[in-house]
Amino acid sequence: MILLSLPSRTDRDLYPALMSPELNAKYPTDQKAFVRIDVSLRMYWHTLFDICPELLELSGLDGMSIFRPFMAWAGEKKLAFDWSYYLWVYAWLRQSPFKERLLADDKYLRSVMAASAARWAILDRGRDCGIVIGCADTTNLVIGWKCRSVRLGREIELIEPEEPLPAPPDIFGYFTLQSFELDLFPGWQSLAR
Amino acid sequence: MRLGFNFTLGDTYDMVQRLLAERHIDYCEFLIDNFFCVDPEELSKAFDCPIGLHIMYSKFLEADRPTLVDFAARLRDYIDVLNPMYVSDHILRFTHEGRAFFHLGEIDYSTEYESVRDRVLAWQEIVGQRIHFENYPSIMDGGREAPAFFERLMKETGAGVLFDASNAVCAHRNCGTPFEAWRNVIAEARHFHVAGYRHSLVEPFISLDTHAEALAPDTLAFLRDFRSVFDKPGATMTYERDDRIEFDDIVADLKLLRELFGQPEERRHDLALSA
Ligand SMILES: [Fe+2]
Ligand SMILES: [Fe+2]
Repeated sequence: MILLSLPSRTDRDLYPALMSPELNAKYPTDQKAFVRIDVSLRMYWHTLFDICPELLELSGLDGMSIFRPFMAWAGEKKLAFDWSYYLWVYAWLRQSPFKERLLADDKYLRSVMAASAARWAILDRGRDCGIVIGCADTTNLVIGWKCRSVRLGREIELIEPEEPLPAPPDIFGYFTLQSFELDLFPGWQSLAR
Repeated sequence: MRLGFNFTLGDTYDMVQRLLAERHIDYCEFLIDNFFCVDPEELSKAFDCPIGLHIMYSKFLEADRPTLVDFAARLRDYIDVLNPMYVSDHILRFTHEGRAFFHLGEIDYSTEYESVRDRVLAWQEIVGQRIHFENYPSIMDGGREAPAFFERLMKETGAGVLFDASNAVCAHRNCGTPFEAWRNVIAEARHFHVAGYRHSLVEPFISLDTHAEALAPDTLAFLRDFRSVFDKPGATMTYERDDRIEFDDIVADLKLLRELFGQPEERRHDLALSA
C-alpha cells in the first residue's frame, strides 16, 4: 500500500525506512524519498554481495531471494548491523530453504567469516588489535587484524589449528586480541544483536 | 590554496608519495582513526609534508562520554606528534535505534541544533582542540537549512567548518540549497574538500557523493565563481578519491584545481628563493 502522506522533508523522517525494503515499498517510486531509501538499501546489498559474491550462486543474480527475507528477519530481530552483519546472514541462511546447499560447500562459511573479520578490522574503534571468529560448523578460525603499518591495510588470516578450540556455544563466537599476537584463548563471546 | 589528497589506507601509499614528489599536492589528509594501531612516530615519518587530520568514526553525536574520552586520548597522541594543520570530523548519524546505517544519515538541522551544539562543545573540550565539521551532501529538502545551521554553530561554539564543495554541489542539485547561502560559511572556512559525484541508478535522479569520478563541470564552476571566497592565507583543499583510484585521472583533476587557484603562496616563496 502506498501512503502519500508519509513525512519526507528531512533525511531523519526516512531513518526507519533506510534499512527496510518493506517500508521503502510504501513510498511513491517517483519521489526523491524513494530513491534516497533505495540508495541506502543498495549499500546493504553491495556490502553483502560485493564482498561475498558466492552467495549469489545460492540466490540467483539479483540476490533478492536472500536479501529481502534476510532484511525483514534482521528488522524483526533488530540486528545492529555491526561487523557481524555477514555472520547473521549465514545464521539466517542456515535456517532457510538454502540450508542444504549452504552446508554442502564450506566456501560460503569461509567467505562470511573473512568478511566479518575484515569489517571489524576496518570499523572497530576500540583499543583491540585483532579479532578471532569461530563457528560451530568448522574448526577453522578467521582472524582480522587492524592496519598496523602505514603501508599496509587490514589483514585477514585463515587458521587451521592442530588442536581445535572448543566449539562456540552458539553458531558463532569471537574474542578480541589486545596485541598483534594470538597467544591465548580467553573463551568465546557470543555475537551481540 | 594548498592542495592535498586523502590517505585512508596503506594501498595508496606509493601513489601519494608520487603526487607529493611531482608536486601535484602540497599536503596529505589522514583518515586518522583508520590508523589508531599505527605508531604515531611511524605515521609522522610517512610523508614529508604538512598533515591534516580527518576523523570518520568518533560518532561524537551518539557515543557515550567514556568512549569519547578514550577515543580522544588516542587521537591526542597523533595530534601531538603530527602537529596537524587542522582536525576535522563529521556531523552525521551513524545509527537509528541502535542499528547501523550503511549509507550515513543527515541530521534534522532545525530540531537538533541545540543538542548538536552541546555535543560539539563537549567534543572540542574532550579533544582539547578546535574541530572543523564537514557539511553533508544533502538529498532531502531539510538540507536547505544546513548553511544557517553551520553558520550559527561556528558562532556559538568556536568550531570551524570543513567545507566540502562537492557536497554543497550535491545538495544544490538534490534539494536546491543555493551556493550563495554558503557564502559566509565559505568565507569563514579555511579547510575544504572536493571530489566527484555520480547520479543514482533510478529516477528521479539524485546526486551521490561517491569520491570515485572526475570533478564535475558544475563543481568546477562553483569553485571558479567563489574562488576569492575560498582562497585565503592558510587555505587547504583536499581532493578526495576513495574508489577507481587512477593516478592519471587524479592528476588531471589536481591540475584543474591548480589552474584555478594558482600555486600556493608557500610554493611561490620557495620558487622565488631558489630563482
Ligand atoms: Fe564529499
Ligand atoms: Fe568530504
